[in-house]
Amino acid sequence: MRSDLAKVQARAGYLFILPSFALYTIFVLAPVIVTFVLSFTYYDPMAGSHWVGLENFMRFFTGDRSLQIFGNTLCFALFAVSGNVVVGLLLALALNRAMPAFMLYLFRLAYFLPVIIAAAFVSIVWGYFYGDDLGVINYYLIHLGLPPVHWLTSSRTAMMSIVIMDIWKNTGFFMIIFIAALQGVPRNIMDAAIMDTRSYWRRFFRIVLPWISPVVFFAIVYASIGALQVYESIVILTRGGPGDATRSMSIYIVEEAFDNFEIGYAASISVIMTLVILVITGAQQLASRRWVRQ
Amino acid sequence: MHTKAAKRWVDRLIIAVMAILAVFMVLPFAWLFSMSFRAPGEAYKMPPSFLPPSLNFRNYAAVLHSSVPFLRIYWNSIQVAVLVTLGQLITCTLAAFAFARLKFPGRDSLFFVMLIGLMFPAQVTIIPIYLGFAKVGLLNHPIGLALMYLTSSFGVFLVRQFMRSQPRALEEAALMDGAGYFKIFYRISLPQLRPALSALGIITFTQTWNYYFQARVLLEPQQSMTLPIAMDLLRGYMASGNLSVVMAAMSMAVLPVILIFLLAQKLVIEGVAMSGIKH
Repeated sequence: MRSDLAKVQARAGYLFILPSFALYTIFVLAPVIVTFVLSFTYYDPMAGSHWVGLENFMRFFTGDRSLQIFGNTLCFALFAVSGNVVVGLLLALALNRAMPAFMLYLFRLAYFLPVIIAAAFVSIVWGYFYGDDLGVINYYLIHLGLPPVHWLTSSRTAMMSIVIMDIWKNTGFFMIIFIAALQGVPRNIMDAAIMDTRSYWRRFFRIVLPWISPVVFFAIVYASIGALQVYESIVILTRGGPGDATRSMSIYIVEEAFDNFEIGYAASISVIMTLVILVITGAQQLASRRWVRQ
Repeated sequence: MHTKAAKRWVDRLIIAVMAILAVFMVLPFAWLFSMSFRAPGEAYKMPPSFLPPSLNFRNYAAVLHSSVPFLRIYWNSIQVAVLVTLGQLITCTLAAFAFARLKFPGRDSLFFVMLIGLMFPAQVTIIPIYLGFAKVGLLNHPIGLALMYLTSSFGVFLVRQFMRSQPRALEEAALMDGAGYFKIFYRISLPQLRPALSALGIITFTQTWNYYFQARVLLEPQQSMTLPIAMDLLRGYMASGNLSVVMAAMSMAVLPVILIFLLAQKLVIEGVAMSGIKH
């Protein structure tokens, strides 16, 4: 009787997950495995594909151009992740103070608005803001008697301009999850802390930050996964230029796979991107086990 | 302690800084809408305006009469976003019910396998999907893009988390009465899930509306494009002189998402907060 019930329940369980798991297998698991396999091949459906071992990976890690693109992507991720998380946390701390409810409502609305609009759309708008001669920002800079900036046309500033836009666009997301986390900090802990220590920041670093650290770690990983994939904001703002100064791994993958039909090589680049994500996620798991309060 | 007055000033200062920053967050959108009402010839006239100079819909008409099949593209975006949203609501909820409420061999490993999906970027799945779609004739069909996202690890995770926070007494009582699992799911669990499902629906719709990377790889002809990639195309076509026409197209493209956000901002923001506190 009991085992019959268990059997019925098990069958129901498999049926319920079937649609989701089948789609997941077809559109995520299988493609990931195929990409992994392709990354060790030279893919040519006409003349025949063959194994090349680690050649694609060697090519990526020895080429000047590919290494620059790898560096660009890591550099973008570093600045975008730290910017998004730090600014998001500061905004959350500011909104966590006592203020009239309608202000809180308006602020949350305003800061979250860019998060939900496509990066493709906001990049087009920012493209006009960042223009050299007809750009909105330079117009005001000149008006204030400041020198105009080559936001997107100089290889020294282009990447930072894209990072600035990325922080503007995404930091509201992190603000929201930090607000939720801060509301989870027990009142008595905050109050006891006020008695014990003199300064706000000391209390923040000693007590509040450790308390919300699981969410901070989550935010860092989440932001890194997003930043490593950066694509449309760069495609639209600079097309990867000037030169290769802002070309990211995603742009390189698309160019190699679909413009040059270097399928195997492109697959190896996406495997490298995935491995970087796995390393970051693994590091987060280790770090949270070691430091985070249980 | 002389801090009470000082604290009041700090609070005011913070509110002032937050207000200035909030203006900067909204400014690009104000510029975009106001630009869509400017006469094309005056698009680059300085200073830029952040309020519409007049409510003349000429530029909007120009978008519809341009060589880019804007309405068709808009329809593609709607189709993809609606299909994906409905698909995820169904598949993710069914799977989440099984993972949260039923016991079966391998359940936790299967759930773990699905969770791993959160770490795979589209970049690592797109090449095989492109090759596969080319084989079965789904390339350059918006439906193909929709198929890719009919389920999501995030959705399963979100709904499962929410379901675990709900009491299961009613479900157990129904089971005692001999109700089948599907009936329990449909009659008892589903109505309780409304907040989670609205959040998932809204997040999924906006996310799908905004897909660019995948759409750009899979949809090449104009007829098959979705809005984000078409906008870039439009910008190229209508180079410098027609900036205000591009902004009119853009205003129409962001409209559904902004409307949803204004109507359901609480749900959107809570959904995001829910997804953040997973520990």
